[in-house]
Amino acid sequence: MLLRYITRRLVILVPVVLGVTILVFFSIHLVPGDPARSFLGDRATPAAVAALHREWGLNEPIPVQYWLFMSRLLHGNLGQSLFYQSSVAGLIGGRLPVTLLLLLYAAVLSVLISVPLAMAAARRPDGIADHIVRAIGLVGIGMPSFWVGTILIIIFALRLHIFAVAGYGNGLVGHLQSLVLPGLTIAISIAPMLVRSLRASMIEALNSDYVAFAKAKGATAPTVVMRYGLRNASISAVTILGINIGFLVGGTLVIENVFALPGLGSLMVQAILDRDFPVVQGITLVFAVIVVVVYLLTDVAYALLDPRVRLG
Amino acid sequence: MKGITRIATVIAAGSLLLLAACGGSAAPTSQTSSSGGPQHGGDLVFARTTDILSLDPTQMTDNESIWTAESVYETLYAATPNGRQLRPWLATGYTLSPNHLVWTFSLRHGVEFANGQPMTSADVKFSIDRVSAKASNPFAFIDTAIKSITTPNKYTVVITTKYPWAPLLADVALFANGILPDNFGGESQSQFFTHPYGTGPFSVSQWVKGQKLVLVKNDHYWQKGKPYLDKVTFTDVPSDNTRELELQSGEADVDEFPAYSSISQLQSTSGVKVGIFTSSRTDFLQFNESVKPFQEVAVRRAISYALNRKAMIQAVLFGHGTPANSIISPALWAYDPNSPGIQYNLAQAKAEMAKSSVPHGFTTTLLVGSGDTTETSLAQIVQQELKPLGINVTLRPVDPNSEYTDIQNGQYSMAFNYDTTDIIDPDELISFSAMGGNTGQKTHALFTNYNNVNVDTWAQDAERTFSQSARQALYNKVQIQVANDAIMAYLYYSPFVYAYSTKVHGLDIYPTGNYHLENVWLSS
Repeated sequence: MLLRYITRRLVILVPVVLGVTILVFFSIHLVPGDPARSFLGDRATPAAVAALHREWGLNEPIPVQYWLFMSRLLHGNLGQSLFYQSSVAGLIGGRLPVTLLLLLYAAVLSVLISVPLAMAAARRPDGIADHIVRAIGLVGIGMPSFWVGTILIIIFALRLHIFAVAGYGNGLVGHLQSLVLPGLTIAISIAPMLVRSLRASMIEALNSDYVAFAKAKGATAPTVVMRYGLRNASISAVTILGINIGFLVGGTLVIENVFALPGLGSLMVQAILDRDFPVVQGITLVFAVIVVVVYLLTDVAYALLDPRVRLG
Repeated sequence: MKGITRIATVIAAGSLLLLAACGGSAAPTSQTSSSGGPQHGGDLVFARTTDILSLDPTQMTDNESIWTAESVYETLYAATPNGRQLRPWLATGYTLSPNHLVWTFSLRHGVEFANGQPMTSADVKFSIDRVSAKASNPFAFIDTAIKSITTPNKYTVVITTKYPWAPLLADVALFANGILPDNFGGESQSQFFTHPYGTGPFSVSQWVKGQKLVLVKNDHYWQKGKPYLDKVTFTDVPSDNTRELELQSGEADVDEFPAYSSISQLQSTSGVKVGIFTSSRTDFLQFNESVKPFQEVAVRRAISYALNRKAMIQAVLFGHGTPANSIISPALWAYDPNSPGIQYNLAQAKAEMAKSSVPHGFTTTLLVGSGDTTETSLAQIVQQELKPLGINVTLRPVDPNSEYTDIQNGQYSMAFNYDTTDIIDPDELISFSAMGGNTGQKTHALFTNYNNVNVDTWAQDAERTFSQSARQALYNKVQIQVANDAIMAYLYYSPFVYAYSTKVHGLDIYPTGNYHLENVWLSS
């Protein structure tokens, strides 16, 4: 059942991605700007501009350029970057792990932050702990990421020397260390949403008849909370986390900039500014696939958490 | 419900443990050396604003690529530190035929590439021929005067030009004419550029795109005893804030281009030096003379008079600049201190407007790069300062790429721009920024559509004149004419600013922005 559902959703991915390629290809080609002039700058002699347009195939009609792009794509070739002397696949391949690892880190840390806070708040609604957690949430949601990132750097890198200021480190351990502060920065921006949703769901769950029944049966407090409260409450948190994946992917850009991480976000912005069409198209394709796959995983997680949910 | 609190505490403690477990010491390693002179060894970490795009000298257009490549590939001649003269580098000298067409260069003996192969004339011919091999090569224009290159023997290179061409020595000193091994040392072009090397003090050891580029010492370097450093690591750190924090923490030794607003704070930070170096950059407000009423000299002069340069320098450079009086920066030998570049004088501005066909003002637009805080601040100042002339300026924000394209396609009335030079000869700058129509590089005086036959003639004469004083006189005429015609409203000359650790010695930024890392050393 689940396998059939996943297969069907993966098949739906094809028209979605096709739609994204059409939208991105035509929108990036229709906005003003010229990669040749960007590449040459003020030294753009007419001869060099014309030669680059020929070399890059930019003098072909847009539909022809799209057809060439799609033919290459169907052969598994994302093309060649106009600016970097490198293939688009190579560029993306080098940066995708950074972004994926950062997203994963942010998701894990946001759960690690949210769950204890939500539990503390749900323990006694409108109690002191609840008010403090809600106040922290408001402050957290109001702080811009670049500021939070800078403050974390000043505390943990400059003052305490626990982490490096920025960069991606060397080797797997270095990479994992370097992503703690950026991951934490993103987590701080999503955690307030998760805390609010978890708190509300937990209060509802802990006041439900089945929890009262469990207590009456003599279940211990940890069992009640973990098995009956948290599990039921986590459905809404998974939804929030899943829905926000698009926001997260966009948010990585600011974080990559602050922490000098070589992820896809920074490459994407530079490629848009330079009108490096093949790179923009390639990255958008990858982001589209990530978002669709995460939505799919969210639905699957839903089914696993709540046996009443039937996928199909 | 006490259990809930316990669980919460355990999870919170787990989170902290995870953070602590992932944390490592970020404290920089220290060096041990104590001699009085330059010390050998060390890894210089150079935090830069952007990524390197290419290491092929014929394909580089971004400064970070160029300034990196100059530590790897070297040229026959090179600029002196003050940028006013050229000195023999991989060549020991040259002779010029009486008809000024044949330049015979003698190559330095004992120069080896980083792989130990000796450099010969074949390498020089191969490298310089590549620059203009394709019309799309960004610096193909620099070698257009070259007719042929021959190599009578291993240590002689003969460059014959199509016509007498005075800037040739400066042209061969351009990074694009840097020397690579002939035929890429037997490798394919793509293979070679994965680990490029030249005769320079360093060669490329690792390049992780978007992250870092590591240079290692060339043990075969011809300047004995140099370079002092074992390694140079260029990191890409786009955020101004983060570069500063890296410098303060000791993770970076050099911060490329700290924000002007941070200079005074950095100057008072212990362990940090701020270097302010003269550059060839001139910032200006340019006019499109194809759009009415900017074809009128009086209008352009009126606007130029109305702009308070000192206020602009204070607002965007925090005082670290000087008002510009010429299109050529004082960093170049051809700069004329007496060039009559217009300065702030509101009464004169009004008098010029009165002479124009629009004495009571007009409405126009100003192109502004969106997200560019400097241009946005300047635009607001221009908007305010042109009001007394009755000129109503509407700001037209566009993204930086569209800004380039609009300027180059003539889709603008006024726009901010700047010019620098890649060579120390004024020819490149003047041929792009002052020569009009179909002369020079055919960029219509930096897309202003200014056209003055006298300027074109003087500039062309200067290209074919070999006496320095005679060339200076010609360039003075050019500077006076374009300043009087207010081809642009020259705003200011700004410096190159670097902040670096007090452990860093010998870092000198030349007016063209490059540096000689073989002279840099780290103290303990």
